[in-house]
Amino acid sequence: MCFKNLPIEFDAQGNASLKPGVANPYSYVETPAPTPIEDDPERMRELFARNGAVRRVDFDPVTRVAGALAFHTVVDLENRQVMETASMATLFRGYEIILKGRDPRDAIFISSRACGVCGGVHATCSALACEMAFGIKPPPMGVVARNLLLSTEYLYDHPIHLSLLAGPDFSEAAVRETNPEIWERARNTRTRGAAVHGYELMSDLMTDLTPLTGKLYLEGLYYTRLAREAYVLIGGKYPHPQTVVPGGVSTTIDASDLNEIMLRVVKYFDYGRKTAAIWDDLAEFFYEVNPKYRDIGTRPANMIEPGQWDDPYAYDGTYANADAWGRERWAPPGVLVDGELRTTSLKMLNAGVEEFVEHAFYEEWTGNGDEFYRHKTDPSGNPLSPWHPWNKETIPKPEATSWKEKYSWSTAPRWDRMAMETGAYSRIWVAAQTGPQAFRDSPYIESTGHSVKIHLPKAELPNTEIEWKVPETWGAFERNRARAYCILYTAAIAYDNLQLAYDLLKKGGPDARMSTPYEMPQDHRIGVGLWGAGRGYLTHHLEMDNGVLENYQILTPSTWMASPKDPFGNPGPYEEAVLATPLLENYEKPEDFKGIDVLRAIRSFDPCMPCTTHMHMDGRTVSREIISCACGADEVHEHH
Amino acid sequence: MRVLVCGVGYRFLRDNALGVHITDTLAPQASNGVEFEDLGYHPVGFTQNLEERPAYDRIVFVGAVNRGRIPGTITTYKYDHVLPDIKEINERVGDSVTGSISLDNLIVVSEAFKALPEDVWVVEIEPGDETWGEGFSDPVQAKLPEIMDTVWNLTRL
Repeated sequence: MCFKNLPIEFDAQGNASLKPGVANPYSYVETPAPTPIEDDPERMRELFARNGAVRRVDFDPVTRVAGALAFHTVVDLENRQVMETASMATLFRGYEIILKGRDPRDAIFISSRACGVCGGVHATCSALACEMAFGIKPPPMGVVARNLLLSTEYLYDHPIHLSLLAGPDFSEAAVRETNPEIWERARNTRTRGAAVHGYELMSDLMTDLTPLTGKLYLEGLYYTRLAREAYVLIGGKYPHPQTVVPGGVSTTIDASDLNEIMLRVVKYFDYGRKTAAIWDDLAEFFYEVNPKYRDIGTRPANMIEPGQWDDPYAYDGTYANADAWGRERWAPPGVLVDGELRTTSLKMLNAGVEEFVEHAFYEEWTGNGDEFYRHKTDPSGNPLSPWHPWNKETIPKPEATSWKEKYSWSTAPRWDRMAMETGAYSRIWVAAQTGPQAFRDSPYIESTGHSVKIHLPKAELPNTEIEWKVPETWGAFERNRARAYCILYTAAIAYDNLQLAYDLLKKGGPDARMSTPYEMPQDHRIGVGLWGAGRGYLTHHLEMDNGVLENYQILTPSTWMASPKDPFGNPGPYEEAVLATPLLENYEKPEDFKGIDVLRAIRSFDPCMPCTTHMHMDGRTVSREIISCACGADEVHEHH
Repeated sequence: MRVLVCGVGYRFLRDNALGVHITDTLAPQASNGVEFEDLGYHPVGFTQNLEERPAYDRIVFVGAVNRGRIPGTITTYKYDHVLPDIKEINERVGDSVTGSISLDNLIVVSEAFKALPEDVWVVEIEPGDETWGEGFSDPVQAKLPEIMDTVWNLTRL
């Protein structure tokens, strides 16, 4: 059964329709959110009187990324548990409003600015939405060029997360500060992957994760550079590419360009093997130290993944054939519920999405499932909810923060009314479960039904097969481990597409063209771009008429995962994962608490913004304002 | 002599877009070793780009920074290359690589990775409105000619 909670049923041929005889089938009765501790004076007095062991801890980064994040918790330091969580996106981006009334092609360049890191995939997703609306498709070389752009983008993104964001949480400095007993044990523990990564002792590995000076940190920086060098050979610029257009890519590539990209991509063969071995060692070491580390950031393995990297001969840009071309992707689409594949249909993935605003600073636009809404079905006749992105209206309504009512600028996206997470790991997990019969033919990637095997040529390290297996438990360490394996997975896809590009160049003719000419339609059209970012799910839904956008909706990975509670009483993924996180940090007094386990849990999702050390504890502020002047200044001149 | 003028900020966040507006406007006048660049991307990438280029004799950063001054206040200073502690540098690198674009981050991260020349100037304007949308607030709009002149004068060594 695809849906359990939405009012959709299927006939014997698999066609979806609304369950008959239900008035306002998508309407619901809201489940009130639990009363926050701070709103219950009696409970608060009782809890906060316990020797200061129960306290409010807020993690507040004040950054300006694709929705800046602040995180509110109430922790019980005596019982080492988190009692209450609330995830707040603190910034309204407004791109949906900025884009109204513009030429749809402007969205490619404007939406790219939604993020200073992954602008390339926003541009691509926007181009895909335009293609569907315009009724065009790129020539095969245009698709391959796009695949190369996005694979190099992810080869940039994954090392960033592992080396610069998550890695420091497991570095010598962090572990010594928060769990000195673990550091002592690391000094006497031999690694398993020394033959691959070269570290004999866990402590040596942790030392090199140290920010700014550690070899692994600096190596991660180097690999972000290498990938961007490859990207700009086609994209012109990064992170805001200049060549992504509807119908392909507006540049030419020759064998010399491909050689330059190849020279860089092959370097990720060894780096990917090494990084996988490092994160294997980190996970297994911490699990051995204390099996409760498996529970850091744990939640049900409910995931959504739109897939990416199109087959150049299968992708036709149409919604009608979306299921077929989606399943031919190197990373196929899928929805996982409790770790099991619920669907691999892009149309069902799309039809199951809703965005709720009960706890977000927006006005509800439907009248709770009012039967009069624009798109009752998708272009193939599958039912759509009034809360679906094609029906969504962005109506900002800022107001005071209330943990019980509204507290975030993020909506609460849900699939089949369940909170979903998404990331590089959902990509490889869906690929693993797709199975050998359904997974596309690739000489380098094999899906077994429970794992992904990656075979790549020898570089400096031997060409040993690397296998990522669906984990038995799900939490922060497994997210990081899976992301590490995705470096090699992505490198294999880049390598596969490079060979396709060489073949197309050699063959020449129409297939080797980079883009398709088109005329802008002036009639009413809709389109959707479904292409996951390095950090997970990304969709752009558009509606246009008279050559301009009437509605444009962007749904990002962080919107899914940083989401507030939904009207059914379910927390968002960050909220749920932190609530389940045991506090394993070594502290004697509440004042010593650093919150490392909470931060490891949040960071494992690869949020678009780091939760670094922006932390407020009761009245004690240990955060920093990003806008404070760090620049020394002499010869200051001020003009009022 | 080579001079690089960097416009820092987010397009579509009103006054925050001032830096890139300045470099967009002055870019057609680029010549004789004076370059203008939209720095609407992250500082680590900028640092790596600088390492690949011939050294600049001077870099000028321009952008809107909220420091609680009167909106429209222009502040010009020569950077003294003093860095915050390593913990804060690391936090700023983390902010940077996750997409945060800010003038302070850019300068701190570039300096931490030793990418900047000795001669660095910063031209800031106090924003009046950094909410989403286009067009500047009145106080910033009124100061556009002055800040443009300030930046242009700094391109002359």
